[in-house]
This record gives sequence, C-alpha cells and structure tokens, in this order.
Amino acid sequence: MTAIPSPTSSEPDAAVQVRGLVRSFGAVRAVAGLDLALYPGEIYGLVGPDGAGKTTTIRTIAGLLDPDAGTVRVLGLAPDDPRVRESVGLMPQRYSLYGDLSVGENLRFFRRLFCLPRDVAEQRIARLLALTRLAPFIDRRADDLSGGMYKKLALACALLHQPRVLLLDEPTNGVDPVSRRELWTLLGEFVGQGMAVLVSTPTMDEAERCHRVGLLHAGRLIAEGEPSRLVRELDSPVFLVRGGDRDRVQAVVEQAPEVLAASPAGARLKVVLQPGGTDRLAERLAPHGATLVPTRPDFEDLFLARLAAGGTA
Amino acid sequence: MTDRRAALWTLLVQLRAVFIKEVRETSQDRRVVFLLTVAPFIQLLVFGFAINLDVDHVPTVVVDLDGSPEGREMVQAMLADGTLAATSPASSVQEAEAMLEHGDAAVAIVVPPGFARDLARGEPTEMQVLLDGTDPSRSGVASGAVSRYLGERGLDLARQRLAAATGGERRLPSVEVRPRLLFNPRLSSAIYMVPGIAGMLLLIITTLITAMGLAREQEVGTLEQVRVTPLPTPVLMVGKVSPFILVGLIDVTLAIAAGATVFDVPIRGSMALFYALTAAFLLNTVGMGLFISTISQTQQQAFIGAFMLILPGLLLSGTLTPIHAMPGWLQPITLLNPLRYFLEGVRAVLLEGARLDDVAFQLGMLSLYGVAILVAASIRFRKTVA
Repeated sequence: MTAIPSPTSSEPDAAVQVRGLVRSFGAVRAVAGLDLALYPGEIYGLVGPDGAGKTTTIRTIAGLLDPDAGTVRVLGLAPDDPRVRESVGLMPQRYSLYGDLSVGENLRFFRRLFCLPRDVAEQRIARLLALTRLAPFIDRRADDLSGGMYKKLALACALLHQPRVLLLDEPTNGVDPVSRRELWTLLGEFVGQGMAVLVSTPTMDEAERCHRVGLLHAGRLIAEGEPSRLVRELDSPVFLVRGGDRDRVQAVVEQAPEVLAASPAGARLKVVLQPGGTDRLAERLAPHGATLVPTRPDFEDLFLARLAAGGTA
Repeated sequence: MTDRRAALWTLLVQLRAVFIKEVRETSQDRRVVFLLTVAPFIQLLVFGFAINLDVDHVPTVVVDLDGSPEGREMVQAMLADGTLAATSPASSVQEAEAMLEHGDAAVAIVVPPGFARDLARGEPTEMQVLLDGTDPSRSGVASGAVSRYLGERGLDLARQRLAAATGGERRLPSVEVRPRLLFNPRLSSAIYMVPGIAGMLLLIITTLITAMGLAREQEVGTLEQVRVTPLPTPVLMVGKVSPFILVGLIDVTLAIAAGATVFDVPIRGSMALFYALTAAFLLNTVGMGLFISTISQTQQQAFIGAFMLILPGLLLSGTLTPIHAMPGWLQPITLLNPLRYFLEGVRAVLLEGARLDDVAFQLGMLSLYGVAILVAASIRFRKTVA
C-alpha cells in the first residue's frame, strides 16, 4: 500500500468534497450530516452495514440525487455540471448495463456517449478487455455473463473515459473471491495513475485494502482514517474466550454490559470490551471455567466496537 | 464557430449512439419485433373484416296472418333488395316477438288478416313492423327500408286505382328522393375504417413501446448509468423515440398499402400530406408514451398507464363511433384528442383528396398538441430523474 499525503495539506486539491450532507427519503434520514473528502490517488472505503447511507452518499456525489442540505463539490464543481460528467465514472450497485447488448456493444455505446475518438477508445477498450480478461466474451450478451464478469464489464464501462473520480457502490457484491481479488488489483493500477476512488462495501476485509476508510453508521461517519491506524488506536481490549461450555459462555457474554460486541472466531467466541471492563468479564466467566486470552484486534472488531459506541451515543 | 460545430458534432454522435442502441436492443426482443411488424397487419385485417358497419341481411321473420297471394307478393318484394333477409316464418305475433327477444330475428313483418280484402276494397290497411332497437343503426336502416318500400307501393296502388277510375294512365305528381353518397359510394365500412385502424395501431404501438422502453431503463437501472455520462437529457429522449417514429411511419405505410389492396381504400390526396399528418400525430403518441414513463417506476405501471390513456383516446376519437353520435356534453372533450384530428385529416386526404389548406387546422392542432406534450414530458422527465 502506498503512502498518501496528509489530508489537511492537500485540502484544496480534494477531488470530492462533501460538507454537511443531509438527504432524507420521506421520514427516513438516509444521510444525516456527512463530511467527507476524497483525494487523487487514494481509495477511500465507505464502510457500513446495509442502510447506513452508503448508496445515498454515492448517488449524491454522482449527481443522481439532490442533497436536502449541505454541499457536494466534485473537482470543484457541482455534481450535475456537464463538465463533471466527463471526469466521473460510476459503477452502481444494481445491474446498469444493457443486458440485451453484447460486451462489445455496451462498451461502444458508452464510448460514443463520451464522444471518445475512435482510435484512442479502441485502444483503451482492448486494454480494458485484456485486463478484465473479457476479450473472449466480446460477443456475449451482458445478461449471459457471470456475476463477476458482469461487474468487470461494468467497471470497464465506468473506466472507459479515464475518469478522475471513480465511484463504486459495493462493486464486489455477488462476486466470487477470485474475481474480487482481480477487481481490486485492477483498481490499484488505476489509482496509481492518480485516480480518486470512492468505494462502498459492507465487508470488513475489503475495507483493509483501502488507503482510508470512513465508518458510516445511521448516515454519519463515526470514525475515519487509515484502517491499520484505526485498529491500532482501538482502545477497547479484544479477547478470545477459552474453555467452558460454549452456550453458557455465550449467555454470560450476551448479558454482560461491558461487552461491546461478540463474534464467533473459529470454535471460540471473540469479544470486544469497554476500556477497563476486562476484570469484570473475567470474574463473570470464572465460575463457568472460562478464561480470557488477549488477541490482536482486526478491522471487524474495530467496526463492531465503534458501532456499539456510536449506536449508544 | 468551431466550438459550436464541435458541440453539434458531439450531439450527433451521442444521438446516433442512442439510436443504434435502441434499435439493437429492440431487435433483440422477438416479441417486440413481432408487435411492431406482423401484429399491425393481423390487426388491420381482423378489424377491417370484423368491424362491419354495413347493414344488410337483417334477419326478418314474416307472420302472414292473411295467407293471400297479395300479402305474400308484398313481403317477397320487400325482401328483394337484400337489406332484409327472411328467417323461418312464424305463425303468430307472439311467436315472432319471442324470436325477436331471443335474437333469432331483428325485424318482424306482420301481414294482418283481411289484408288482401281491404286492399281490394280500397280501404286503408295496415302492415305491422316490429323492430329490435338494440342496434340503433341496424334498426334505423331496416325501418327505412320497410317504410320506403311501403311508401312506393302505396303510391303505385293509388296510381293503379286512379287509372282504373278515370279509364286511362295518369301521371301523379310525386317527389322521389334519390340520395347519392359521395366519397364512399358503396357505403363500405372498410374504407371508412382503415384510416381509423391505422390511427389506432399507431396510437397503441408507439405509445406503449415508448412508455415501456423508458420505464424499462428506469426499472433495470440502465438509466442511472446513462445519466452519469455527458449525454444531455433531450438527446436521450430524441434518440429513444426516433426509432419508433420511424417504425410508426413504416407501419402506417403498410396499413394503407394493405387497405388499398385488400379493402380498395382509395388514395385520392397527396401522400406527402398524409405523412405530414402521420408524423405530427406520432409526436403526440411518443410524447404521451414518454410522459407516462415519467410517472411510472416499472414497465407494468407504464403498461397500465398507457392503456388508461389509449382506451378513452380510441373511444373519443371517432374511430369506432361517429363523434356527432356521442352525447352533447362529451363531444367537446374530443377536441382534446389528437387521434380525432389525425382521423379527420387522413380521411379527408385519402377519401376526399383534400389539400393542405383543407387540413391545415388538423395539422396545426396535431403539431401544437405534439409539441406541448413533448415539452411537458421532458420537464417531468428532468424532475423525476434528477
């Protein structure tokens, strides 16, 4: 992973700047005061459970939704400015290509919409087809592609005009692990050339591949930073519970107020505790013959801890 | 200047892309291709043959209570021109009424007892005619046929008696009505119906296909991907509807060609004028289709929405029933219906050979409504998608 410049120093150059974004759908407040900055050359992961406001945020930045309050600037312009359109690529979560058209026809259609010169575009298409290994399937209907191939085609269509800002809404949803790794490798290559990428994901292992992540909960960022640093700075102790009857241990853990989150880790239970709650839980578990073994927290623990804290705050 | 040319070039490239995409996508769907090409033909033939407004062979039951040669002769003569056709005779008025009730006959002619005797004595005599009034145009034609015949027959009888009394042939002053039908001398429904069917097909096909085409993009999600490209909304809309305007022009050509060969529909006016009317009408149908799609989230909603509009559009146009036969309060509403103007214009051009200044009003109204609905649709389109 490459080092990125400190956000504050390059603030004026932010590719995407979101301030105080609010957007509601009827009575539901999907995004409730979101601040976010995305810089060239970085992958920013918008991480959160379903319904946290990830898609609304991305759609607003893409200019598909108007904000109720707050401002969104993409490359210094309003998101629905025609000049912005030429520099932004979007890969929506839903299927968004023409299923009755072939791989090649879809690519050609978007090439024409962006009015790319044919020779330049054909070179790019050839390269994207090679990178995504879709070249043998150029005449296949988009609807007949597998989930992973379809996503790669959608990515190719979004990259065709070499956008400076790429927005990906859960790009690996429904994609097998191999294709998933390929997609990320592909992204890395384009980011290396200075593209700014905003990617939303509900999966924690993908968050760790981002330069920076923002934890989104109920339409608000509850934590932001480099994934490894966020995990390092987690002040909640994390333990594995060893020994004892599993069902009984689980019952104890579920009722203990100092436990922020519990998740299965192999055959054992992993717990994230409030700072200073270790002794109390150890006392509760002792009668059941279970002990706490310290373990290294990972991103999921961080997320669960922050979510528990954010949810109660 | 070069900037503007480049911008225009951009628009053309994008327009062509949307057009090609739409054609490719539509031609992939065999059902839609069928709907656009073969179905109109079948419909034209079915409607042309099935919607028969010609009145003849009205089933007629004869109740001869007199049994005289004079009565029989009179009835035979009445049935002679084919407007009325005899069914099996009845022996009583009650039986004839029952046949009318069951729909076995639409007309009953009753020759009263003593008909021949009264006639011979020169006394006024009556012949009773019962009519099934459920189909007003049919009963109207039947009663007209009967009274016309009996009127002529009465005059003949008077002339004969006069001749016998005065001992010589005398001319009786009389006025004879000889209606002559212009433009459709054989009173053939098909000639009148074919332009109506063509308009109906255009309305159904182009409205439905545009409404559902855009609704599909919205439903599937492709619209979202297109909207983040630099493609301007009007270009998208024009690119999406223009293939169907072309299809509409082709369909209407096929319909008129089929009408001319199968039903002998005349083409008396200029084809250019005919196509101008058609193109102006198509602005209305695709405009309505687009408008419906902006208030629909799914193809199903668009389909239902289109039908809610198409049905009254058809009924209040003069295609199936003449506008002057509608209730008075309903007639002004038809002035809002583009199909009405299309029909008036096309019938005038094809059947009467009307010129531009004859149908300028219809052409103007179609263009006005067409532009208005397209503008309304694009305003709504921007609001719903943005």
